[in-house]
Amino acid sequence: MTRLPIRMTVNAENVELLAEPRSHLADLLRGELLLTGTHTGCEHGVCGACTVELDGAPARSCITHAGACDGATVRTIEGFEGDAVMAALREAFTAEHALQCGYCTPGMLVMARDIVLRLPDADEARVREELSGNLCRCTGYRGIVAAVMRVLDRRRGLAGPAASRAA
Amino acid sequence: MSREGVGASILRKEDVRFLHGRGRYVGDIRPAGMLEVAFLRSPVAHARLIGVGKPEGAEGRVFTIADLEGVGAIRAASALPGFRASGQSVLASGKLRHVGEAIAACVAPSRAAAEDLAAACALDYEELPAIADMLSAREPGAALIHDHWPDNAFLETSREEDLSGLDGIAAAKVTRRLRTARQCMVPMEGRGVLAEWDPRLEQLVVTTSTQQPHVIRTGLSETLGLDEGSIRVVAPDVGGGFGYKAILLPEEIVCAHLAIRLGRPVRWIEDRLEHLTASANCREHHYVVTAWADREGRLLGVELDATVDSGAYSSYPFSACLESAQVGSIFPGPYTLPRFRYRTVSACTNKPPILPYRGVARTGVCYAMETTLDALARELGMTPAAIRLANLVPPEAMPYRNLVGKVFDSGDYPEALRRAVAHFDLERLAQRQAEGECVGFGLATFCEQGAHGTSVYHGWGIPFVPGYEQAMARFSPDGVLEIRTGLHSHGQGMETTLAQVAHEILGVPVARVRVVHGDTALTPYSTGTWGSRGAVMGGGAVAEACRLLGERALAIGAFLLQAEPGQVELSGGAVRRRDGGATVTLDEIARTWYRRPQNLPRDVDTSGLEVTGGYRPDPDTGTHSYACHAVIARIDQDTGEVVLEDYVVVEDGGKLLNPMIVDGQVLGGIAQGIGTALYEEMPFDAAGQPLAGTLADYLVPGATEVPGIRIDHMETPSPWTRFGQKGLGESGAIGPPAAIVNAINDALHRFGAEVFDLPASPERVLAALEEARRGR
Repeated sequence: MTRLPIRMTVNAENVELLAEPRSHLADLLRGELLLTGTHTGCEHGVCGACTVELDGAPARSCITHAGACDGATVRTIEGFEGDAVMAALREAFTAEHALQCGYCTPGMLVMARDIVLRLPDADEARVREELSGNLCRCTGYRGIVAAVMRVLDRRRGLAGPAASRAA
Repeated sequence: MSREGVGASILRKEDVRFLHGRGRYVGDIRPAGMLEVAFLRSPVAHARLIGVGKPEGAEGRVFTIADLEGVGAIRAASALPGFRASGQSVLASGKLRHVGEAIAACVAPSRAAAEDLAAACALDYEELPAIADMLSAREPGAALIHDHWPDNAFLETSREEDLSGLDGIAAAKVTRRLRTARQCMVPMEGRGVLAEWDPRLEQLVVTTSTQQPHVIRTGLSETLGLDEGSIRVVAPDVGGGFGYKAILLPEEIVCAHLAIRLGRPVRWIEDRLEHLTASANCREHHYVVTAWADREGRLLGVELDATVDSGAYSSYPFSACLESAQVGSIFPGPYTLPRFRYRTVSACTNKPPILPYRGVARTGVCYAMETTLDALARELGMTPAAIRLANLVPPEAMPYRNLVGKVFDSGDYPEALRRAVAHFDLERLAQRQAEGECVGFGLATFCEQGAHGTSVYHGWGIPFVPGYEQAMARFSPDGVLEIRTGLHSHGQGMETTLAQVAHEILGVPVARVRVVHGDTALTPYSTGTWGSRGAVMGGGAVAEACRLLGERALAIGAFLLQAEPGQVELSGGAVRRRDGGATVTLDEIARTWYRRPQNLPRDVDTSGLEVTGGYRPDPDTGTHSYACHAVIARIDQDTGEVVLEDYVVVEDGGKLLNPMIVDGQVLGGIAQGIGTALYEEMPFDAAGQPLAGTLADYLVPGATEVPGIRIDHMETPSPWTRFGQKGLGESGAIGPPAAIVNAINDALHRFGAEVFDLPASPERVLAALEEARRGR
């Protein structure tokens, strides 16, 4: 079978691999590179569990064709060590009980980090809208929304937890 | 209360690995030489299977039931009188009984290649008329799904009572026909199983996404003909359960068989298409309810005819009648119902076999009872609160035995209702309604039996009966406390809450407590995590194991302190003299047992610092948590969209082990309940074809569909449990459909309309309004 040579930068490392044309980015990350923190929840681009950062923006790795990734820069949940926003989000996710089974969490975090950086003035309604492409079946979203608001508030220099606002 | 013991909202120990993408689910594990399986599945709902043509050259990689010699069928019988058992062949044999039924296992080095094999198989079958609806299942002349049965029903139950006099004395009588939709549970991680044979231990190791590793081991043993000692079941991180993973899977059995036969690790990972089309397996009920009430709103009697669509087979271990057999006994809910007649049917249809989804029967029953109560209230000109207050079991009657023999342990049901209502400005709402706004207020009150045990289950006669829940507690040589439980935590936070329980008893810091679960080789037997039993049964068992371990430590500690056992006590992680003198830490005691045995007393208990404790509440008929859900819903009359403006839950789960985690359970349950109420539906066409194949068709609530929810806790301890805790893991998913539809109908009835069926989708709301317009 034909295989496509793919060169990517994944979590700041250069990788070269051969991909089946029908495979998608999540296949490469999970299968070839053993980066299993990226989860697949639907493989048709709806649930958001597989969200990674692709060339600086969130993308669904389950509907990103492997062949389209040649030359791309990818960051997965394993690639944010040392990132201050991600560290703040992780702390906030724990503090707000924003995860239960943990399966949607990596995709949620990648999306949440993008929201925090892209929309520093977002209010709760906007945060909910921005998160609407990431499904969570455990938490009912309150903790997730509160965690994102907590980080946004802190970055805006506001005092106090966001919990009451998001409740 | 200690800062991190029972009752403290400490943060979860398990979060760190998930936040860094280091959770380890079945799909993340890939041993060398692994083969992947794709299943050839039935494209039709009902057919006679004639044959499978294997692709040329791949005959040795495609397995049908004919190739699986020695593998038994799944049999989940119930001892209830009249129950008809269905043998479920692990791969289809003779007949195809639902779309998605596994027919052949196709094995290849990758899933994609395995799917290619499945696609290359030729399938020969002769289609039969499908039973696509539970109400037509028993019609004369209906095609028989199990050919040797007289009709398509697993079980019928009934309770007789003479209601003939009620028409003459009742001030109001209403009848409602109600339907709930068939749903998929949609845990974010699907099912998955990885089986390998360990030649060194001569043991089959099955790593599977399950809530019940020990029950799965028993089921594998029974179907594979291996003794249980030669099977180890591991449940790693599991990405959501909700009941979907409380089942012995045909796929588990097939993968296990193939792993042994092929001498290679064999894995199957369910994809979302399989989940949606092969496993829409819960919540589909039909009710005809008639209720009579007096002028004050007191219920005089109820007649109930309920049908549950149980699908094609009886799943192991909970059986096909798990919902229908409960509907009658839980229907009276939290009320003092004086007369009750019911008939329930567990209908067999050409759909995936029923499984227990969070709330198990209660969600539908609560919907039927609560919407009927509101219809009565409207008839009588009463408020929803008033009619409920007239019927709720009063606190002074606790513990209360209702007319079907359920015993409620404790609580103040009317107070929960009053508190919920007090959160709302109902005068303002009435004003909005008077101004013509299509907006309404809805209530649901219910109780949830949880952690029910031996005395309840032995009569059902399903494949297991829960008994004493056990936990193991031991100190490592450096004083780390290891807790082992046969439960499984897949989001419930048990790695934290059970550590809190251990801390409560022994004082060991939570950070020094490790909770081990999800492995039959490492944990004591348990029926697993289901039925809202983790906090009560696991909490009780861990407390007992730690108490016993504390006694052992106390004896060694007393000797080290040169004191009599009566002169010392255990507190703050140390044994101390009661007279305020010296102390010796549990770390030091552990070190002494393992590494300085020369310092032990001569009469030391030689079993050491490792114990197993068992626990069962007495009585074990189950705790009853209860709640009142209250909601304001606004309806867009042009689009039929329902917006939840405000949602309040007053919940009493007895003593809360960790209130933060309890809130998480309640909120997550409510989100699922909102899905049941407004969005989630797997429609089937007349041929039994499931019609929603993606998550863009099957709608699960997202962050914009779930409102901010306010939770108000009451904490009435259960008199029967170790800390007074009650099971409430399913509670959140029970109330929303009833409360939300009651709010919708409070709005709609002012326009002459009413919604009866779930979900109350825009289509159904518009149809109700349209019908009202035409009727006028």
